Amino acid sequence: MFSIHCPYCKEPRDQNEFSPAGEAFIARPENPEALSDEEWADYVFYRTNLKGDHWEQWVHTSGCRKYFLVKRSTISHEVIEVATFEEIDSENAS
Amino acid sequence: MRIEKHSNSLIDYNQPLSFVFNNKAYKGFKGDTLASALIANNVLYYARSFKYGRKRGIIGAGVEEPNALVSLEIGGRYTPNMKATEIMLYDGLSAVSSSNPHSIDFRAMIKPLHRFMPAGFYYKTFIKQKVWSIVEDRLRSLSGFSKAPSEIDEDVYDHIFQHTEVLVIGGGAAGMSAALEVLSSSKKARVILVDERENLGGELTNEFTTDQTATLWYQETKDRLLKYRDEAGSRLKILTSATAYAWYDHNYIEVLQTIGTGQSMIQEGVQSARKVLHKIRTKEVILATGAHERPMLFETNDLANIMLSQSVRRYVNEFNVVAGKEIVLYGNNDSIYNTAIDLRKHNIESKVIDVRASGVESEIVLEAKNLGIEVFQGFAILKAKGKSRVTGIEISKVEMQAKPPHWKSKWRVTGDTQTLNCDLLATSGGFNPVVHLDCHCGGKTYFDENSQSFLAQKDRKNRQLCGAVNSIGFWKDAIADAKNKAQLTLLSLGEDNEVNPQKLTNQSRNYFNVDQFFTPLEILNKPKVFIDLQNDVTTLDVSLSIREGYQSIEHIKRYTAMGFGTDQGKTGNINGIAVAAEFLDAPMSEVGTTTFRPAYTGVDFGAMAGRELGDFFDPQRFTTIHDSHVNSGAEFEVVGQWYRPWYYPKDGEDMHQAVNRECRAVRTSLGMMDASTLGKIDIQGKDAREFLSRVYTNAWMKLAPGSCRYGLMCNEKGMIIDDGVSTCINDNHFIMTTTTGGAASVYSTLEMWLQTEWSHLDVHLSSVTDQFSTVAVVGPNARKLMKKLCSDVDFDSKNFKFMQWRPGTVCGVKARIMRISFSGELAYEINIEANFGRFIWDEVAREGKEWNITPYGTESMHVLRAEKGFIIVGQDTDGSMTPMDVNMNWILAKNKPFSYIGRRSFSISALKSEDRLQLVGLLTKDDQVVLPEGAHIINNKGVSVGYVTSSYYSPALGRSIALAQLKGGLSKMSETVLVKIVQEKQGLKEIPCEVSSSVFYDTNGEKVDGNE
Repeated sequence: MFSIHCPYCKEPRDQNEFSPAGEAFIARPENPEALSDEEWADYVFYRTNLKGDHWEQWVHTSGCRKYFLVKRSTISHEVIEVATFEEIDSENAS
Repeated sequence: MRIEKHSNSLIDYNQPLSFVFNNKAYKGFKGDTLASALIANNVLYYARSFKYGRKRGIIGAGVEEPNALVSLEIGGRYTPNMKATEIMLYDGLSAVSSSNPHSIDFRAMIKPLHRFMPAGFYYKTFIKQKVWSIVEDRLRSLSGFSKAPSEIDEDVYDHIFQHTEVLVIGGGAAGMSAALEVLSSSKKARVILVDERENLGGELTNEFTTDQTATLWYQETKDRLLKYRDEAGSRLKILTSATAYAWYDHNYIEVLQTIGTGQSMIQEGVQSARKVLHKIRTKEVILATGAHERPMLFETNDLANIMLSQSVRRYVNEFNVVAGKEIVLYGNNDSIYNTAIDLRKHNIESKVIDVRASGVESEIVLEAKNLGIEVFQGFAILKAKGKSRVTGIEISKVEMQAKPPHWKSKWRVTGDTQTLNCDLLATSGGFNPVVHLDCHCGGKTYFDENSQSFLAQKDRKNRQLCGAVNSIGFWKDAIADAKNKAQLTLLSLGEDNEVNPQKLTNQSRNYFNVDQFFTPLEILNKPKVFIDLQNDVTTLDVSLSIREGYQSIEHIKRYTAMGFGTDQGKTGNINGIAVAAEFLDAPMSEVGTTTFRPAYTGVDFGAMAGRELGDFFDPQRFTTIHDSHVNSGAEFEVVGQWYRPWYYPKDGEDMHQAVNRECRAVRTSLGMMDASTLGKIDIQGKDAREFLSRVYTNAWMKLAPGSCRYGLMCNEKGMIIDDGVSTCINDNHFIMTTTTGGAASVYSTLEMWLQTEWSHLDVHLSSVTDQFSTVAVVGPNARKLMKKLCSDVDFDSKNFKFMQWRPGTVCGVKARIMRISFSGELAYEINIEANFGRFIWDEVAREGKEWNITPYGTESMHVLRAEKGFIIVGQDTDGSMTPMDVNMNWILAKNKPFSYIGRRSFSISALKSEDRLQLVGLLTKDDQVVLPEGAHIINNKGVSVGYVTSSYYSPALGRSIALAQLKGGLSKMSETVLVKIVQEKQGLKEIPCEVSSSVFYDTNGEKVDGNE
């Protein structure tokens, strides 16, 4: 079971307080109607599923209810970094 | 038998204990395990083996034991499949073998057939021949495991969450030393020390017989640890009789501690927990888990009284028992000499057979020879003789080939066999470091040629290895190793200490002084050379597995069932790998190990559940009106943790009768329902309207204050996820209702959009489900009652229209009254502050008497809504239904500027297919037949083309009605389809039904204004 540091509560908490909310930095297209079926499917269904350090969204369900960002190794499950959406976006994420 | 007492014994001879095993009474002493007490009483047989029904004795002294499985106690204290070697004896203990060795065994009677029962026997004989179902029951009952408990466990179990800097797993010499070093070198680090045995010390207690310095070190270290544990502001917790059985992510480790094994935990009226599950989160782990001995392989090596050498040693030293008089020790490493020397100290003679040739001899070998112990060097045991217990052995000279071909064993049997008598044979084929825990969470192993064992990978973050798990077999070296590793641990914690690494000795007296696996093919190709005693896996099974193409060790394991038992192959697995390596002609490192997964040992279900049982299993939610429902005799159903009235039976009615009465009341006069459980989300902010437009499919920009609107919510895939009515309080304030079960997930989803995509919108959400009570007043006479209850609202249907709401005062309580309907009848929902719920409910009931107001539950609600064709999300939809599929195209806004959630998906070709499942009504030709929900609609080929989602008897229509998902259903109106059902006493039947509109009652919506 993970131990995740909530960037809002500023404390490590057990995983069972959180829920995963998918890969991070997948922006909803500005104009969905202008997209081809393939492009739309890419947004709705396709994920990178990478092996390595992965930015993902988590929500502190049984805590502050805030969504935030977690960089997690999908190999070791180590949490490398946590951040709020104000602190990091797809531009400055490493 | 019990031998003469000596000073280091852990047995308290002043405390005799009585116990019963397999219905016979015995005596033992305080400090005994069940196994040691039975050995003292000369009990030989403990079990019948799993597959062949062979009688088996004890081989181990602890967690590694594969044979001596027992069921402990009876009734509410019954525990199945416990190892006799791990049960501490108490007065009045009663246990039986999991598989009775003394009963007549069907499998033992077909003994001559053994050679016809290789791995895969059951599959090839029964399953392939399709007779498995006939024999399965009989065979399962013969397997060597305990029966499942039949009564509720009368004991309680606790969970304790622990946090620490350092967790030391293993309380032997290395673990004790590591814990002490951390405590004495650091001023702040907290330590938890865990060991599976009742006493600290591990295998070190074996040294007490011959090494006075070991005794002194143990006493001093233990005293210092206890002082740390007992001082004020203690930083040390010691958990004994506690097994760390699982290591999960982020150094989360679960430890199961036994407080009482099988005796009653009720003392002086207070019930304490039998076991405690410690959930430990630690920064650093020090593994001092030691090593398990592996047996030697030879023919019929499974006879009773063939044991592990270290176990015999421990039984003699710790428990003062020994299972025989003519003892032979056999192995390929130095540890057998230790056992021989210890036996000699207790005046017990033994012979040593060492496969290693004489020549280069270590200190301990010389010591044994000097004591006059008879030693056969360069000899191997080919076969154990005896019917069910060992009575003798056949030995032969063996030699090494100078240049073995490839990886084949370098051993070769030479010379003639000779026979020795013995009644106890103790073997040691080397040691397997206990790396299980380290591998639970991604750790890897490698094969170390020096120690002939699989070791844990050297470097790993926040983890150190010390002692025997690190292939260090001499206790003084283990202590030094532990000190060094403790210092590294402190360094990792960021504590700067001066580190003076201690040098290890020259590794004399090292158990890991071992020669290669003794696996010559002359022996492996014999029948009945057992690798896994619990699952009856022999060397020939491994050979067969390889010949049949299962060559990966993971496949071999699954083909042969090697290592699958409750012992998880602690003695057998590594030997199995060596055997596979021999047959495959491959190095051990290439064969590798199977995967070590949690749990390391069996865990009681009770311990996993802890106190989360009964009332504490799941939160229960009650509305403020609940007591009134109870008084009315309501039956309840649980919906999303809420206890909702299901129906209100009167005068012995069954559900059907009650529902008919309730529905008739709503349709003809007046009903009332507690609708408080519907999810309610308060939405405020100047962009609230825009937000609703984005998450619902329909238009919200023009909804005026004072009005309500039904909305359908989809996900981006275009699938319906929720529905409900939202109310416009004012331009910046709405209240959304959700389905009872979907409230939490809808709230989370809405928050996700706001926080991750639309943070620029000025919208704030609060869950207010629990803040309001809702009493629905439903039926043609609803207006009359409302006028009576509330004088400051104009209820005239022209001024207070359907889908509007008004603020008002109901019986003196401020309320929001919504005119919405889930039944098609005139209906008002009175929303009041939650704590007025009961008061308003009772007032409504009292004032409504003149119209015979009838409370109704969820079942009637379902019938009433189905008559009107209103869907229930999650019942008539399943997450793969679009609004088009449920014939609700009318709710899809065409001109919203923002492409609302799910909209783009509607134009994907797959969602426009004519062949999708679509929601229709079904009317059975025989109008009194009520279809079962879930029944399949079949085509003329008997293939499913849909299924029934809702089905009821409609009292208003006097016939059955059903909603169904049917392929292309919307273009099949009035066609006849067949629904396949099972009817009582009549078996499978195909019921003809007509496809109809999903609206069955009041199709033109004329009832919504009720009576004036």
